Amino acid sequence: MSDTLEQLRELIKEKFDIDASSIDPNASVLESGLDSLALTELLFTVEEKFGVELLEAAREVTTLGGLAALIDQLRSGARPTPPAQSSAVPMR
Amino acid sequence: MLRSGEHSVAITGLGVIAPHGDDPGAMFDALMEGRSGLRRWEGATDPVVAGTVQFDPARWFTKLQMLGLDRVSQLAVAAAEMARADAKVQDLDPLRVGVFVGCGMGGAISIETAFRSHATTGRVPPLSIPAGMGNAPAAHIAMRGGFKGPVLSYCVACSSSAVAIAEAGKSIRAGEIDVAFAGGTEAMLVPAIVRAWQMLQTLATPDPERIETSCRPFALDRSGFVLSEGAAFLVLESAASAQRRGARIYADLVGSGLSCDATHLTKPDAAGQARAMKGALASAGLQPADVGYCNAHGTATPAGDVVECDALRSVWGDDLGALRVSSTKSMHGHLLGGAGALEAMITVLALHRGQIPPTAFCSRPDPKCAVPLVREQGEAAPQLRAAISNSFAFGGTNAVLAFQRHH
Repeated sequence: MSDTLEQLRELIKEKFDIDASSIDPNASVLESGLDSLALTELLFTVEEKFGVELLEAAREVTTLGGLAALIDQLRSGARPTPPAQSSAVPMR
Repeated sequence: MLRSGEHSVAITGLGVIAPHGDDPGAMFDALMEGRSGLRRWEGATDPVVAGTVQFDPARWFTKLQMLGLDRVSQLAVAAAEMARADAKVQDLDPLRVGVFVGCGMGGAISIETAFRSHATTGRVPPLSIPAGMGNAPAAHIAMRGGFKGPVLSYCVACSSSAVAIAEAGKSIRAGEIDVAFAGGTEAMLVPAIVRAWQMLQTLATPDPERIETSCRPFALDRSGFVLSEGAAFLVLESAASAQRRGARIYADLVGSGLSCDATHLTKPDAAGQARAMKGALASAGLQPADVGYCNAHGTATPAGDVVECDALRSVWGDDLGALRVSSTKSMHGHLLGGAGALEAMITVLALHRGQIPPTAFCSRPDPKCAVPLVREQGEAAPQLRAAISNSFAFGGTNAVLAFQRHH
């Protein structure tokens, strides 16, 4: 398991009081007890904690593993692939 | 002619989080003794007096539930839950339950946090909008309880929650719903907003010796009001529903009157206030002589108290002698959007107990406020049958609620 993924799980535990150890890194986080608003809040906190700007790239992220990979990619200086569609957060 | 029975709306539950705590009975006891819940506010370096509430969100919400949940909504949800528990209502038809919430400034803390963050870092917490929007408290109460009838928010400054209760009563009388959670909430004690109120020169000058006595409605030495936070909710229920389940009934909501001065944004107008009082009496089928108590708006501003007393005198006329008037804001401060609901609750408890709470810290009444004041200590009033609660808002909207002892 990557360090980044482990740090994400700790962050989820601390912020939402959800035991993230059982969250499948390849499953949608929306099926892991986090709703769309919580995911938005998580991404904001991730930016603060990891010192990255997720911007549009995060809109395509649906899994914890994907988010960890994106963080690693951004921290290495690579430009992420732009998303194909807009917000995944359901809005009225 | 006192009205009761089928057309009245029963008050069957009370829930509160106020400067005097979260027990309506204990709060009323404190008010009867003239005890203030106001204290020095820790959010400023210069002396500011405020009514803050003790509230532990962890008792009510998980960390996940706290996301995007401003304090104003937390207080509202908790107070509404306590009102529900007090009413012992169960197995409600969710489509027949409404939520009516008054709030002046919505999630002010979230909005100030967003502005502050944006100004210093350029970053803004992403849930600032859903946390700060004015109808968030009502939405959270509805989601928590699964209430699916009308879920409405009233933004009418200091009349907000009195208007909410009036409209809830009408919805029940119209047969739209059986039960309403009606009340108000406010949580705007943040530095920029407190400073803005100070700049408006409406706040009480803190008494350097006894800061808790700084709010002095109807007194010669009054200097303005004291900002408070908190929430108060009443369970309103159709008489048929309350009777069917044998509910304990605190009092009946028998009428309401709404009016607008349409003259000035902040300056009160006796004629407009009198119209709302007359409207409440007329809709309740009450004469002035029937009403034994008025929980006044009584903010302790120099202009406001005089105008309210003028309005009371104009409506009560020769019957003024039988009326008792007090402003409990002297002790709990001004909950703004939550004020109407808190004071409605106090008025309901006055009827339920046959006791009238006082205006505290009014040792020298202003001769221009010549109405029969209850001062310093509460009075026993076993004959009290009907009472009104006044709320007058910036913007000119006046709301008066009429309650009657249940029998």
